[in-house]
Amino acid sequence: MAMSFTFTLDGEDHEISILARRPDLSLSIDGLAYKVSQAPAPDENRVSLTVDGRNYQIWRTWEGDRIHLRMGARTFSVGYEDAILAAQHHAGGDDILRADVPGVVVTVHCEEGGNVSSGDILMVIESMKMQVNIVAHRDGIIETVHVGINESFEKGTELISMHAES
Amino acid sequence: MFASVLIANRGEIACRVERTARALGLRTIAVFHHEDRNAPHVAMADEAHLLQAEVPIAAYLDIEQIIGIAKAADAQCIHPGYGFLAENAAFAEAVEGAGLTFVGPQPDVIRLMGDKIRSREFAEKLGVPVAPSVQQDDDLDAFVVAATQIGFPLLIKAAAGGGGKGMSIVRSANEFAERARIATGEAERYFADGRIYAERYVERPRHIEVQVLGDGNGAVIHLFERECSVQRRFQKIIEESPAAALDRELRDRICAAAVDLAVNSKYRNAGTVEFILAPDGEFYFLEMNTRLQVEHPVTEIVCGVDLVEAQLRIAAAEGLPWQQGDIRQSGHAIECRICCEEPQNDFHPATGTAQILRLPDAESARFDGGISEGQVITAAFDSMVGKLVCKGKDREDAIDASLRALDDLILLGVSTNVDYLGSILQHPAFRAGELHTGFVEEHATSLSPAPLDEADRAAVLIAAALAVDEFHKLVYDTPEPYASMSAWRN
Repeated sequence: MAMSFTFTLDGEDHEISILARRPDLSLSIDGLAYKVSQAPAPDENRVSLTVDGRNYQIWRTWEGDRIHLRMGARTFSVGYEDAILAAQHHAGGDDILRADVPGVVVTVHCEEGGNVSSGDILMVIESMKMQVNIVAHRDGIIETVHVGINESFEKGTELISMHAES
Repeated sequence: MFASVLIANRGEIACRVERTARALGLRTIAVFHHEDRNAPHVAMADEAHLLQAEVPIAAYLDIEQIIGIAKAADAQCIHPGYGFLAENAAFAEAVEGAGLTFVGPQPDVIRLMGDKIRSREFAEKLGVPVAPSVQQDDDLDAFVVAATQIGFPLLIKAAAGGGGKGMSIVRSANEFAERARIATGEAERYFADGRIYAERYVERPRHIEVQVLGDGNGAVIHLFERECSVQRRFQKIIEESPAAALDRELRDRICAAAVDLAVNSKYRNAGTVEFILAPDGEFYFLEMNTRLQVEHPVTEIVCGVDLVEAQLRIAAAEGLPWQQGDIRQSGHAIECRICCEEPQNDFHPATGTAQILRLPDAESARFDGGISEGQVITAAFDSMVGKLVCKGKDREDAIDASLRALDDLILLGVSTNVDYLGSILQHPAFRAGELHTGFVEEHATSLSPAPLDEADRAAVLIAAALAVDEFHKLVYDTPEPYASMSAWRN
């Protein structure tokens, strides 16, 4: 079995592997074969790519573990995690609510040890002058509130951890 | 005319002011926080001075430091741009007190118009229509009772407010008290003034505003209207001039009301009088913004004027550069605000690096930007990084020009609303001019991106995969025997 790479687009995983290199490059995406006749170098930002005889003009760039692409007046963000990074990420567990933007805490609507239901607003944060609700993704009990009112935090900071009701 | 100007701002508006000031022969003096040291407004200026502040936003609000720099750099006037100190009467006073000219209105006019309750009363006295409203005094219960008498839905607003802060639509009496409490808290936090009021919320309102210029002695002209009905989170994202299919007679009455307000306040500077227009054709005074507006370029394009030049000439006591009869609207202009945010994630602000920035070069397109390639977009400032303004011979033509220009605008490395703006402009309801401030909520479903077809999705994924070094190496760098082997190993 050839090595397969996993990419995420619009929340869905896609498996890509190499079927053949010669005479033409043939790739498999989720089991379907595609012929690639013009393939760019990895560091090119503006690429011309021909897939199954159709040519695409694409702009692309990396940002962390994401590749941003623009094609046909649409912008896409494709996630790529290599195996080591993926292992680290998932060890953190699913019950930690992290900040997906940097900001400051405006209000806290939960307390440690308290019961919350999925959809409850646990915290309101502010980023770039906009208020964003931090919402419980499941029913459970609040374990720790890591940041207090008026405290600022960076992107990715743990805001609240919770666990399932026992 | 002045010999020099200090621009007490950053981003696109600082660049915008510098362009005109330079063209008029003024020496341009920029100020910046350390985080903005590589920003275009710094590079473009004749000289730039560092503002010391731990919090970046505080730098541009530091009256004492800014005036100190202005004096040391021998600036003759200070242009505040919009936001930050633009509508701060104490700043205007301090500038004048230091013997410099403030490019803006008289401090007492800033105070009057900055107080939403007082300015409403001022408009009402002049016979300019305002929506029925009630103010909160100390007694919350009495406020609830009085508000209920106006009838729901109601809009709660902060007296010192702006930018959607402290605002909420309340549809029933039982949620009113809680919303009022939240709004008071927000108003205190943002504006250090907890006063709020509630006014009748007009369903499906359009936002129509009028650009005015006043000389400070009662001479006022208007430069017609702008429509800013397409908003998200109470903030405009697409503006245009003229308004879409606005009856001429009604347009003239709205412009006349705006001029009335400016004449009677002896308004000096460029200013904008905002109205809401109900579906039944009634219009109500909303507020007056005593500064250059973000969306001023659409007026500049259709009227063929430079509003920053007008501001500087008025501040230099040269009087109004034009008479009412000189001002004509010609063609149509649309502005799209380019913001770093995630439209599909409730417009959450996004941060990142503008790794690739390519601007449209069509003659019909003007990009007022404040970022350069490689610049880091942080949460420290507003998410708007530029404005794409396009002109056409009519509305349809301006929409098409805007769509082409949005296609040509490449800003990669941070999430933006560029695609989303395109989907609004393409929407049949937008093309038909069926606008109201709830447009993006009403059409939320049809504004979501259409699913990708399978071939396009493959192209995107392959382009992404080939950007991964390990993957690319497997494709091209594998030694010969293995390279041909793996072809049939699968």
